[in-house]
Amino acid sequence: MMSEKLYNIISKIFSVPITEINDESNPETIESWDSLNLYMLIDDIETEFNVKFTLEEILEIKNVGDFKKLLVNHGCELNE
Amino acid sequence: MKISMVIEEKLSAYITKSKKLNSSNFQKKIKTALLSNFTLDGLNETISVKCADIQIGCNTFSGGYNQYNEEILNDKSKLYSFSPDICFLILDTRKILGDLFFSPYNLPVEKRREFIQNKVDELTNLVKLFIKKSNSKLVVSNLVVPTFSPYGIIEAKVSYGLQEMVRDFNQKLSDICKDEDSAYLYDLNGFVARFGQNNVFDYRQYFFGDVKISLNHIPFLANELLGFIKPILGLNKKCIVLDLDNTLWGGIVGEDGFNGIKLSHNDPIGRAFIEFQKYLLSLHERGIILAVNSTNNLEDAMEVIKDHPNMVLREEHFACLKINWNDKVTNFYEIAQELNIGLDSMVFLDDDQVNRDFVGTSIPEVLTVELPNDPSLYVPTLTELNDFNVLKITEEDKKRGKMYLQQRKRTEFKKNAPNFEEYLKQLNIKVRIKKATDFTIPRISQLTLKTNQFNLTTKRYQEEDVRKFSQDKKKIIGCAQIEDKFGDNGITNVFIIDKENEREWVIDTFLLSCRVIGRGIENAILSYICEDAKNKGVKKIKARFVPSKKNKPAETFLPDFGFKKENDYWIYYLNNTIKSPNHLMLKIE
Repeated sequence: MMSEKLYNIISKIFSVPITEINDESNPETIESWDSLNLYMLIDDIETEFNVKFTLEEILEIKNVGDFKKLLVNHGCELNE
Repeated sequence: MKISMVIEEKLSAYITKSKKLNSSNFQKKIKTALLSNFTLDGLNETISVKCADIQIGCNTFSGGYNQYNEEILNDKSKLYSFSPDICFLILDTRKILGDLFFSPYNLPVEKRREFIQNKVDELTNLVKLFIKKSNSKLVVSNLVVPTFSPYGIIEAKVSYGLQEMVRDFNQKLSDICKDEDSAYLYDLNGFVARFGQNNVFDYRQYFFGDVKISLNHIPFLANELLGFIKPILGLNKKCIVLDLDNTLWGGIVGEDGFNGIKLSHNDPIGRAFIEFQKYLLSLHERGIILAVNSTNNLEDAMEVIKDHPNMVLREEHFACLKINWNDKVTNFYEIAQELNIGLDSMVFLDDDQVNRDFVGTSIPEVLTVELPNDPSLYVPTLTELNDFNVLKITEEDKKRGKMYLQQRKRTEFKKNAPNFEEYLKQLNIKVRIKKATDFTIPRISQLTLKTNQFNLTTKRYQEEDVRKFSQDKKKIIGCAQIEDKFGDNGITNVFIIDKENEREWVIDTFLLSCRVIGRGIENAILSYICEDAKNKGVKKIKARFVPSKKNKPAETFLPDFGFKKENDYWIYYLNNTIKSPNHLMLKIE
């Protein structure tokens, strides 16, 4: 399962090449993953996918794969 | 359509741009500090990007989270070593009120008053300390008044309730800022009201990271703070150039006729234009110059301006009227020349997209506003423009409109005078030399900040600088007020002299506002300085001409007066006779 759209947003916010992002990417592997960037990322994802996460869901996010799971739970289609 | 005309990018876009910023090449530079009692991540980056967009190199500092007390109290703090030009202190209601934010009524009313007074005193102390210790301006936000209350609909029945407490705090803070010259109030409560508390405050972001202004409102907040930065650097706009048809009134006077244009109180469209004119008039009254640039028959347009019963703006409100069939760009250059102001301080309002594109691309320095095609949105478009701010409204500002009118009459008088000498004589010019006082210091600073043309060194001084100079025994700060038979030009000259030693004075600054150039006034003032020096036993006066992009008019001032070039300096030996023009009267006050 791969989402071009999601990876593009992540790549833009964290300023890392798309090729360096995978489902396991997390604050340890992406240096610029700080709280401001995370929040901007959530904001962009919410706008782009037209969803709204709860605070609890946000706190559960540990890596890129978690974003995918969340989006699927919210009924988003990631196979693009 | 939303009332807020400004469409903003997301914060993330600004953060991305901020990483690629290279603002070291910009001529104008500013150092801004940000202190806050909550998270304002991304605000500094956004301010830097927005500054770079208008060619300002912005160097920012951010105080530690909720460290504003320490930063201000400690002489050795990073804030003071950063030495900002302007410092923003943005405060949040929750943090100031603490537990009282939800349970104010646990305290009896007298204790509530005491609590607020203590908080005000603490902040007053910080404001005064900071101003004393630094050369920076300080912008303090007021508190956002909560829109809820545990008392619900009877909140207003409670004596000194939650909302009243916050409003009282705000009023007291506003009073402090009135008293302190270098302190300014930023109406954060007004900002939140404009955008709506439910939009600006995002509970998730608040719980997540003590964010109290949601990330996507940060760029809007940055716009507001830029409103303080631009006038420090003299980047405020001074003149609005207006089209007529469909800009000041509805319809086209040449086709619809005097009685056909829409400018009636009985017609919604007419009311929109009348209201727009009223707002323009209010800007005129506080010193913004208005001019007309219109493609029209002069007679048709002037008939409306002079005789239409519902016109708010009349002939006397316009410093310059270009109503003809020339192209708008040519007219624009002529207006700038006649008013003697820079194109970069002019704003252009025209309903016609073609005209806007023509002026916008031909003269990019001019701020061409994208007027919406609905006249009911003209007023909010103009109120959203954050470019007319000044840090002080001087007496000269309020009189400016009148002065330009006098200038028009002077020009007519000059046309009819037999020769130039006779014209100068008949002007009855009076020059009053004044010292730096509480009344003149704001104007002295303002002139150093905005005078570009007749300015020997173009050194910019804030009010704080001038105040310090005025207490320095080794400096002379003076200014001159110019009057003539057509009226008062106000204070239009500044000179600052360094008394290097008993034998030598150095002119640090000498400038003259462009509207009084060419009447011998500059020579009279310089002769006065020379005479004064000579009387005090000084042997020579040194001066410099530092060329800038705009100060060509002052280039030959020193040699024409008799200064001789020696290395980097122009020198005038005071054993020479000092000539002074005899067509004007000079008075020392």
